[in-house]
Amino acid sequence: MPFNRRAFLGSTVAATALAAVFPRVSLAQPTPEAGGTLRVAVDQAVSVLHPLLTRVNPEYLTAELLYSGLTRLGRDMLAEPDLALSWEGNEDLSVWTFNIRPDVTFHDGTPCTADDVVASFQAILNPDLSSPARNNVGPIDKVEAVDATTVRFTLTSPYADLPVALAYNNARIIPASVIAGDFDSLRSTANGTGPFRLVSYEPDRMVVVEKNPDYYDPARPYLDRVELHVFPDFGAQVSSLMAGDIDMISTLGPNDFLRLDGQDGIDVLRSESGQFCNVNFGTDIAPFDDPRVRRALALTVDRDAMVDFMTEGFGTKGNDTPLNSSYPFFKPLTQREQNIAEAKALLAEAGLPDGFEAELVASDRPAIRTQLAVALREMAKEAGITINVITMPHATYLDQVWTKGAFYVGFYNMQPTPDGILKLLFTSDAAWNETRWNNSDFDALVNRARSTLDTAERTDLYTQAQAMMNDEVPSIIPAFFDVLGAKRTWMQGYDIHPRASVFRLDHAWLDASAPTKG
Amino acid sequence: MSASYILKRVALTFYTLFVVSVLVFGITQILPADAAVMMLGENATPEALEALRQQMGLNDPVWLQYLHWAGGVIRWDFGISMRTGQPVGPALFSALGTSLTLAVLALALMLVLAVPMGIIAAVRRGKLADLAVGFLSYVGVSLPEFVTATLAVLLIADFWGWLPPAGYIPLTQDFVGGIERLILPVTVVSVMMIAHVSRMVRSELVDVMHTDYVRAARLKGLHPRRVLFRHGLRNALLPTITIVALDVGYLLGGVIVVEEIFSIPGIGRSLMSAIQARDLPVIQAGVMIMAATYSIVNFAADLMYAWLDKRIQYD
Amino acid sequence: MTDFLGRLLRTPQGFLGCLIVGLIFVAVLGGHWLTPFGPEDMQALARYKAPSAEHWLGTDQYGRDILSRLLDGARSTVVMAVAATVIGTLGGAILGTGSAYLGGRADEFIMRTVDAVMAIPSLLLALLVVSLLGSNSANALLAIAIAFMPSMARISRSVALTVRKQEYVSAAIARGEGSGYIVLREMLPNVIAPIVVEMTIRVSFAVMLFATLSFLGLGAQPPATDWGLMVSEARQYLHRSYWILLWPSAAIALTAIGFNLLGDGLRDALNPRT
Repeated sequence: MPFNRRAFLGSTVAATALAAVFPRVSLAQPTPEAGGTLRVAVDQAVSVLHPLLTRVNPEYLTAELLYSGLTRLGRDMLAEPDLALSWEGNEDLSVWTFNIRPDVTFHDGTPCTADDVVASFQAILNPDLSSPARNNVGPIDKVEAVDATTVRFTLTSPYADLPVALAYNNARIIPASVIAGDFDSLRSTANGTGPFRLVSYEPDRMVVVEKNPDYYDPARPYLDRVELHVFPDFGAQVSSLMAGDIDMISTLGPNDFLRLDGQDGIDVLRSESGQFCNVNFGTDIAPFDDPRVRRALALTVDRDAMVDFMTEGFGTKGNDTPLNSSYPFFKPLTQREQNIAEAKALLAEAGLPDGFEAELVASDRPAIRTQLAVALREMAKEAGITINVITMPHATYLDQVWTKGAFYVGFYNMQPTPDGILKLLFTSDAAWNETRWNNSDFDALVNRARSTLDTAERTDLYTQAQAMMNDEVPSIIPAFFDVLGAKRTWMQGYDIHPRASVFRLDHAWLDASAPTKG
Repeated sequence: MSASYILKRVALTFYTLFVVSVLVFGITQILPADAAVMMLGENATPEALEALRQQMGLNDPVWLQYLHWAGGVIRWDFGISMRTGQPVGPALFSALGTSLTLAVLALALMLVLAVPMGIIAAVRRGKLADLAVGFLSYVGVSLPEFVTATLAVLLIADFWGWLPPAGYIPLTQDFVGGIERLILPVTVVSVMMIAHVSRMVRSELVDVMHTDYVRAARLKGLHPRRVLFRHGLRNALLPTITIVALDVGYLLGGVIVVEEIFSIPGIGRSLMSAIQARDLPVIQAGVMIMAATYSIVNFAADLMYAWLDKRIQYD
Repeated sequence: MTDFLGRLLRTPQGFLGCLIVGLIFVAVLGGHWLTPFGPEDMQALARYKAPSAEHWLGTDQYGRDILSRLLDGARSTVVMAVAATVIGTLGGAILGTGSAYLGGRADEFIMRTVDAVMAIPSLLLALLVVSLLGSNSANALLAIAIAFMPSMARISRSVALTVRKQEYVSAAIARGEGSGYIVLREMLPNVIAPIVVEMTIRVSFAVMLFATLSFLGLGAQPPATDWGLMVSEARQYLHRSYWILLWPSAAIALTAIGFNLLGDGLRDALNPRT
């Protein structure tokens, strides 16, 4: 188990941390108690209830409570059974067979069978629906029901990560009858196989769910009810946690973390993660079409200072590749450090001995984008590069700059696999080809890795791919952020997930001191 | 107050709503965002986007889009939210209800405090009480809501722990819990109005007490308190109605800030999140509802003024 | 003029207002020389410091000197607020006097439309304009100017109409006063006075509106020294230091009070009849 790769800090008792990693290996930990209402603070409205269309963490959380997938993502980034009890790939990993749990029912009492799974994946893959899962569940060509409890995925190319990819937040199983009938009804109602059933849904205020008595695991969930309270103001959710008005904060900033750390009755939660904020180059636009210019700028970055400045120390140094030790198949390269002399030499070599001036676009959400831009502006000055920072509303940025611009700040959640993040952003066929780097050697490495099952071989391929990125710098990735959260001590069986968008509240429970018990 | 006056006032209210509708529709048209991308997200294929644009009429000429939208509004159909895919109307009206609870309580608190403060300041003109009210009102009109709110949460909720720091519970669901959570936001929203209105009451009352009409009453030997309440106050409070109605504009602005800080799911917060997410139908409907609220309140205030004015004249 | 200044300084509001606004303008004009540190100088070892001899108002989350940032912010915050008010007033004045000059149906149409726009709360109007143009200080300035225009149009129109009647002017002529006296002592105060008074009070609204826009993330952007932005950022660091929050809040309040007092003082001084 790659448990030792992660640092658990804060006042979290080791036992609670272990409980979340090994939910079934219960040694000296308290037995979960049933009952109570868990009150969770989320930082954004739950605008989308439709499980195939969710886009932000509070929506993922809601979908996770109400629906199941075939697999789910453990804290170790490996696939765990959900509706699928077991799975198996063929020799070259291009055909996968999943065995579905028998006797599972949807919330309305109808049985969930292989036909529902097939219909759900057909809906996900239908371009008209524009489900974010379409680009993330793998190169699926065909989904068929072999019998009532067996589903076969035929892929267009070999893919070792399929079981993990199927745990994607949007890959939820919904009734075939709803897909064929009133598909839009899922925008305001829910009918899943998840641990909880929908009670009420007000996008900007609160989502309430209650225990599903027919959940496939008779022991879980432990909670009677979960309420998601929307707090758009970070200060308000911290104050409310301290006042005991809520039991858990799903996402926290470093300063609020420090504010809560050491408070009576509160556990702060922290996990290293592959979440990062980066500076993207349009590698087809001068002067950034010259790798020497890109590397020069990367050499101006003081990465220790970046970790301090951007994350208040709650982060790790980046090496201009999107992978770090939170990902499987990772091996570190030599860390790039600040080297102004080399940066100047590279600029001179590229015909820019006096530096250059460029406009760096940063959208206003989250604010960390602007912070990165400002820090880079200061650091690049030393090499004679003048950066003018332009901030704009996020929607304007998406419309005008994103995937088109020459020089802009990006922000990305950790993906479940190295393949996920590389195919999302950096290969020529990436869903969001931000940098237009289009390097066919790099593409070949990534494609070979995705059809390789052997861990050592895969690690080697990803390391080669990383080295290419580190050398050509399509994007500066100066730092990774830890994901942070907090809970009351009376809430147990929960720890924060490195991917930040996975919660597993069916394992959480409240002890006798919780105010909503009894 | 003649029928023609009322008719003219009604026509004006409709004209106001027409102008606001053109304005807000114009602004949302120019907003730099592709509505189809906003709805389908970054994963949409170009074909899906084009199909949605066709379906939503985004390729129609602007005036036709306006007519479609305005026609919908007249039929009480405010369109579909781009964020939630739900009809805009029901969600916004329920949010409006929350905001009105906040606003009405703030108005009530303001009247209960501001009018007596103004009277005391006017009666004890130049004395300590007057100076104190004057000082408080200067501070009150000079503190933006976000400063008052931050300080209030810091002291009363975080530090002393007297009241919950944020959140909203409908009063029908849990009256005590709901009121507890409304005390801070209501107070914060009303501070600026209390400061403003108490000053207005004071200066109106000082002016009225110097009119020949009040002097005559005093010379007739009426009891000073009777002069104050029967003659002075009735005339002084009349202009206050108009001022309070105009202040509803500030009140609605303050509600936006306060709902954001205290996480109250009212129309101000719906508007803020709609503006941030470029949810055009919600912005359009939200601004229309705010402007309509303001117009209706002012219409009512004008009617009340005209009605009371007549009674006072012939009293 | 000295006579007018004397009247202004004799009222308590006028005196206090002049004092505060005077101090603020010293900060705006001289802030550059007065600041002991650069507004963006970060000192990693001196973060969250309480007020001391070295840092009079303490330091913020990055170890930046708060006094230096406040003085630097005075320029952006106050100058921007004054500029927004002036632009809003000019725009409103053109609209209002134009409307009064045209008279008749055109006047009716323009003023009804202005009334209609006033039905949108100014904060909301400013929010819409900023989201249309993009979040930065210059656009916030424009947004506030636009938000002020309708009410300033209303006031300048009524002033313009009064001037058209000019009863006090005819009276002065009847008294046999010289034309210089009439313009200086009768017309000018009556035309300018209400507008200047309203403008002065509006500056305090503009300061608060600016701060509110920045607070909501739609005005100035980090690392600007805009006071509203400073308050907004400080809220995250409250557990470390209250001072980061208190000083910019106090600066906003003091500036708003100063302009309010000055406006009231000016009203009394310019309007000796009451």
